[in-house]
Amino acid sequence: MNRAMSVATLVLLAGLGIGATYVVQNLSAARIATEQRLIDSRTLLDMLPPGSYDNQPLEQPLALENLALTNSTLVTGYLATKGGQPNAVLLRSQTLGYAGIIELLIAIDANGKLLGVKTLKQTETPGLGGRLADWPNTWLQLFTGKSRTEPADNGWALKKDQGQFDQMAGATITSRAVINAIHDALRYFDEHRQQLVGSIPHE
Amino acid sequence: MNKASLQNSLMLAPLVGATGSLMSALGLWLMFVVVIGAYALGMGALRPRLASSTHWVAGVLLAATLTACVELAGQSWSLQWQQHLGLYAGLIALQCVVLDNNGFFQSPGRDRLRLCGLFGLLMVVLGLLREIIGNGTLGAHLTWLMGGADWPGWVLTVDGGLRLATLAPGGLILLGLLIAAKQAWHRPTPSN
Repeated sequence: MNRAMSVATLVLLAGLGIGATYVVQNLSAARIATEQRLIDSRTLLDMLPPGSYDNQPLEQPLALENLALTNSTLVTGYLATKGGQPNAVLLRSQTLGYAGIIELLIAIDANGKLLGVKTLKQTETPGLGGRLADWPNTWLQLFTGKSRTEPADNGWALKKDQGQFDQMAGATITSRAVINAIHDALRYFDEHRQQLVGSIPHE
Repeated sequence: MNKASLQNSLMLAPLVGATGSLMSALGLWLMFVVVIGAYALGMGALRPRLASSTHWVAGVLLAATLTACVELAGQSWSLQWQQHLGLYAGLIALQCVVLDNNGFFQSPGRDRLRLCGLFGLLMVVLGLLREIIGNGTLGAHLTWLMGGADWPGWVLTVDGGLRLATLAPGGLILLGLLIAAKQAWHRPTPSN
């Protein structure tokens, strides 16, 4: 077999290989990116019961930006709807923990009940306040189903502060910050329910 | 290290790494079969046109191309499935080249089928065992194959099972136990 032909075949093979990979990459890039976005939003939205929304909440931000509340700041919010009816609101809230900023995603249903809280960002002490980032999180599940009126305002605190919630062991400041941020978000929702979901609650 | 043991140790990596669940094991094996099949066809066509000293270059080029294309196609089929395979999908290219170097593609068809089948059987059995023991589910995410909504599988135990089995050391232990069981099965009972 002569050498020149071998080399020519190899060069052709390399060209074909690069070409084929490039074409396949181009053809599939858009599909893969869409699917990646879907996976990302699903991990962010798994606090909402599946089937309770049929829009893309992350592409429907609410008109609130860096709104300062008593103990926290609302960064953004998203609206989950089903069949055009608002079903839940997701509020992205920032507060100051023990070591730095804690960012929470707080899901509230249309009746003002808390659906779930998820930690998006935190720099608390690993093993103490840092357990805030675990998911699923038993401590954050304490708040599921609570609302602004249930418990009343003075109940929204740690037992140490005469409230009704346990704290994460060894992380009083973190726990306090999180409780206050959740309470803030619920209060904000309660006061702006009309504007956020556009309906009076049917309770 | 002799040739056969290099080939077998390359098979060990996906056997331990990609068998965390039935679906990842099945996915990797399917990719393996597709790439090996296409590689055999491609090299069959190329071999007569190349000087024997350049065979391995062609092999590397072909294996890399095929693996990259199959991986991309798999990602657009089901991204989550591919993400579970991780880097083990890329190792298939290396496996191809090593198998070629060992003369696997010149061996009779029956031997080739036997190796592929054995590898698949081991992958699927390990995947099944690790999923049942580690997660207490059977056939979770089976819908990745067909599309549609994600499916948690048949839940056998609610509390989740033994976590060790889902980690790499657990996989290695299980593989060892399987091989030991096979050895014990084939050993003639000692006569007293």
